[in-house]
Amino acid sequence: MAELEVKSMTETQLRNLRRQRTKEMRLQLTGFGLMIFLTFMAFGMVALDFDPTFIMGVVMLFAFIQVILQFYYFMHMKDQGHDFAKLFMIVGMFFAISFCVTFIYIVWIGSPI
Amino acid sequence: MSQATAQKRGFWSVIWDYMTTVDHKKIAILYLIAGGFFFVLGGIEAMLIRIQLAVPNNDFLSAGLFNEVITMHGTTMIFLAAMPLLFAFMNATVPLQIGARDVAFPFLNSLGVWLFIFGGIFLNLSWFLGGAPDAGWTSYASLSIASPGHGVDFYALGLQVSGAGTLISGINFVTTIITMRAPGMTYMRMPLMTWTTLVAGVLIVFAFPPLTIGLFLLIFDRMFGSNFFIVEAGGNTIIWEHLFWIFGHPEVYILILPAFGIFSEIFATFARKRLFGYSAMVFATVLIGFFGFMVWAHHMFTVGLGPTANAIFALATMAIAVPTGIKIFNWIFTIWGGSIEFTTPMMYALAFIPSFVMGGVTGIMQAVAPADYQYHDSYFIVAHFHYVIVGGVVFALLAGLHYYWPLMFATMLNEKLGKVTFWLFFIGFHMTFLIQHFLGLWGMPRRVFTYLDGQGYNAANMISTIGALFMALAVIVLVINIIMTLVKNEKVGRDPWGDGRTLEWSLPLPVPYYNFAQIPLIRGLDAFWIEKKEGNGEMLPAESLEDFHMPNNSIIPFVMSFGLFVASFGALYFASGKEWAIDAVADLPEKPWAFWVLVIGLAITFISMITRSFKDDLGYYVTKEEVLRDLEERERGAK
Amino acid sequence: MAEMKYNVPNEQWPEHPETATLEGKNKFVGFWTFLGGETVLFASLFATYLALKDSVPSSDHLLAADLFHLELAFVMTMLLLTSSLTSVYAVYHMRNNNFSKMQLWLAVTVLLGAGFLALEIYEFYEYVHLGHTFRSSAFGSAFYILIGTHGFHVIIGLIWITGLIIRNATRGLSVYTAAKVNTAALYWHFIDVVWVFIFTIVYLLGVI
Repeated sequence: MAELEVKSMTETQLRNLRRQRTKEMRLQLTGFGLMIFLTFMAFGMVALDFDPTFIMGVVMLFAFIQVILQFYYFMHMKDQGHDFAKLFMIVGMFFAISFCVTFIYIVWIGSPI
Repeated sequence: MSQATAQKRGFWSVIWDYMTTVDHKKIAILYLIAGGFFFVLGGIEAMLIRIQLAVPNNDFLSAGLFNEVITMHGTTMIFLAAMPLLFAFMNATVPLQIGARDVAFPFLNSLGVWLFIFGGIFLNLSWFLGGAPDAGWTSYASLSIASPGHGVDFYALGLQVSGAGTLISGINFVTTIITMRAPGMTYMRMPLMTWTTLVAGVLIVFAFPPLTIGLFLLIFDRMFGSNFFIVEAGGNTIIWEHLFWIFGHPEVYILILPAFGIFSEIFATFARKRLFGYSAMVFATVLIGFFGFMVWAHHMFTVGLGPTANAIFALATMAIAVPTGIKIFNWIFTIWGGSIEFTTPMMYALAFIPSFVMGGVTGIMQAVAPADYQYHDSYFIVAHFHYVIVGGVVFALLAGLHYYWPLMFATMLNEKLGKVTFWLFFIGFHMTFLIQHFLGLWGMPRRVFTYLDGQGYNAANMISTIGALFMALAVIVLVINIIMTLVKNEKVGRDPWGDGRTLEWSLPLPVPYYNFAQIPLIRGLDAFWIEKKEGNGEMLPAESLEDFHMPNNSIIPFVMSFGLFVASFGALYFASGKEWAIDAVADLPEKPWAFWVLVIGLAITFISMITRSFKDDLGYYVTKEEVLRDLEERERGAK
Repeated sequence: MAEMKYNVPNEQWPEHPETATLEGKNKFVGFWTFLGGETVLFASLFATYLALKDSVPSSDHLLAADLFHLELAFVMTMLLLTSSLTSVYAVYHMRNNNFSKMQLWLAVTVLLGAGFLALEIYEFYEYVHLGHTFRSSAFGSAFYILIGTHGFHVIIGLIWITGLIIRNATRGLSVYTAAKVNTAALYWHFIDVVWVFIFTIVYLLGVI
């Protein structure tokens, strides 16, 4: 294990850090509430038989919002030092979407969704 | 570790050392040996193909055997020769170029090489166990599902295992370059070899998972009774083509970008000039990497994707010519006005420019979708991709072998023999493949095992075969050169080419196992050159001389890979003779032990993973005294 | 042999213990890189599923709309979402240098994950009884490989986190184990991310 320099923290610093983390936890809980809400809405809309094209758009939007919440709050992507994480995820998502779109439209099938 | 101490320590302890090593320099040597072996194997297969096609109506190889040979030639050369050899040079140079003591994940580095070696061995065992794969290196599902026997299963499982190794190595290089750079080594000061490795690593991370999935679908269809490609059950073989080319096209750039990196280093070194347009080169590298993912369907123009899809992919393909063109011009401008030294690596580099441009131009011709209907599946395509892969990648491998040999072995390959190799290879290469463009335009289809007399193909094919003989001769001269160099074992000192620009040449040869006694401070692009011109020729240290930390050796990567190797046999024979199996293997005798072999193999891998994660592997410290002792010894040696 | 300090006092505990060492940083960057690759891996599976959805050999096979039950998918989603939150708690306590609470929340995560897995197995069991199997049709193959690969990730995640709980039980918290816990938590969140798309694309869009 490589050398690790730890500067001892003062009491105040420690308390501030704790407070900051509690605040972050509150944000994460809010995010969780929002995720649960979005899930409810998505399932509810399908259960109530809304118009399929409408559902398709909204449900996919909800999924992306949920995932962004998950990445930003649960996986700490909003914090410093996550530039590469963001880059890899955005590029990965971009490729993912392009793969799915091409598979849906040019694999010799009609409209699968 | 010098040769003399190696002999003192005995043969088996050296073997054990290499089996457990996590040192990137030794892993580079493992990649070089294994990749070199497979390169020769693939070369022999190429010779068999050319001998078969030398005259019309030849029966040197039977039709079935010919299919096996072309499949194995392509698969071996791409997956088991070109890529591992590039990994050898990446491993040998990148940590040294960025000023690191090892890669980010030394354990995974070792796992990567062993997965590749076991995957490669597994694939090639097919020759002895009932026939090699015969569905082409692309293994299109319509063919591979129908291919009788276990050949294609060897392909799918072997590539799955070695592909996992490649993915691991890719992640490793990306992380190494992001986190392990020495102080002052900003992104825009990294040598081009490092840059291209970074981009190639990213491409590996994004391109290999689709191959993994494609291979899994094939494995499940052939060995576990699923229906992805079985059209009667609703399957669709086009899915394989998409997944394969989503991987396959970036794969081309995974190969060519590090080749560009090697050439960029060589041009700057032997033109004794800073690389022209460094930032444009970096930008072009990244752009090529990104575009590489947007063009896969140009391999599928004739599938019938529709005019819109073809037009989009044709345009995206042509766009790649722009960054590639930028690179070509920058290399030419680097040579322009330079004080050129015609060493063997430089000869390859100079020959690479026109050769690769020819391959690139035919690529643009094929990007025109309507025209591609004419070229498709003809020898024109064969000529095109050999111009790119041989004229680009193999030239780079041979150049890199000569150029980096002193860095890896602290000896120099013989320059005279090197130039003989170069001329033989250069002439042979153009003789073999230039004529194949015309063969293709005259109508000779690719992947045919023979052709009739009187179609006008005879003379051209004979010329092509003679050219291939020249290349074979070149490789023989190269092998002689290597053996001679190893036997003579004349050690060279630091900066053996005399014009080293980048950090790796600032190190003493042989490179100590900890690379840098003190992590250097980087003051600009071409760090070593700057110190030569503005300083005293020594790198400035960025830290005081202290104890530092190195990773422990481990046998676990070897055992882990061996487990997957065993499991592959279980999976391979699982479907033999089962009633639900596809026709290709349903008639074979049943192997009741297959399931247990699969379980045992996976258990070996799983247990070694658990063992690994339950241990605290904290590495060890190299003491200041030891480093000082080394430094003193080297000083005495220099006197 | 290098030494590792376990259970240091709070003032000695770094602000970001998981990336306090170079090894921790490497793990962090390397794992995000790996997750980038995983995105593309699952994208290939989703694309395959979408291409083969409802693609069956004859009309007597069940299709997506006949098979999927939203109730079950909803309960599974809730379990996995909550387990994602509990692993956030584990990382929170890890950063606060609270070893026992970290272990507790990791254990809760494993329990919720195991609940999810049990429901998934039950679901598969039911489909197999209805004649929708891995070998019955291309649709079946594509469905099981997509959901199965996700399920396989859940199994790996469960083994991983359980293993961490066991191996760390006798050791305690250090910057070495902190990096391990953080990586496992990232993996677990990513499994949840994939599930969000699975329940949306496979289940919700499957029944409309």
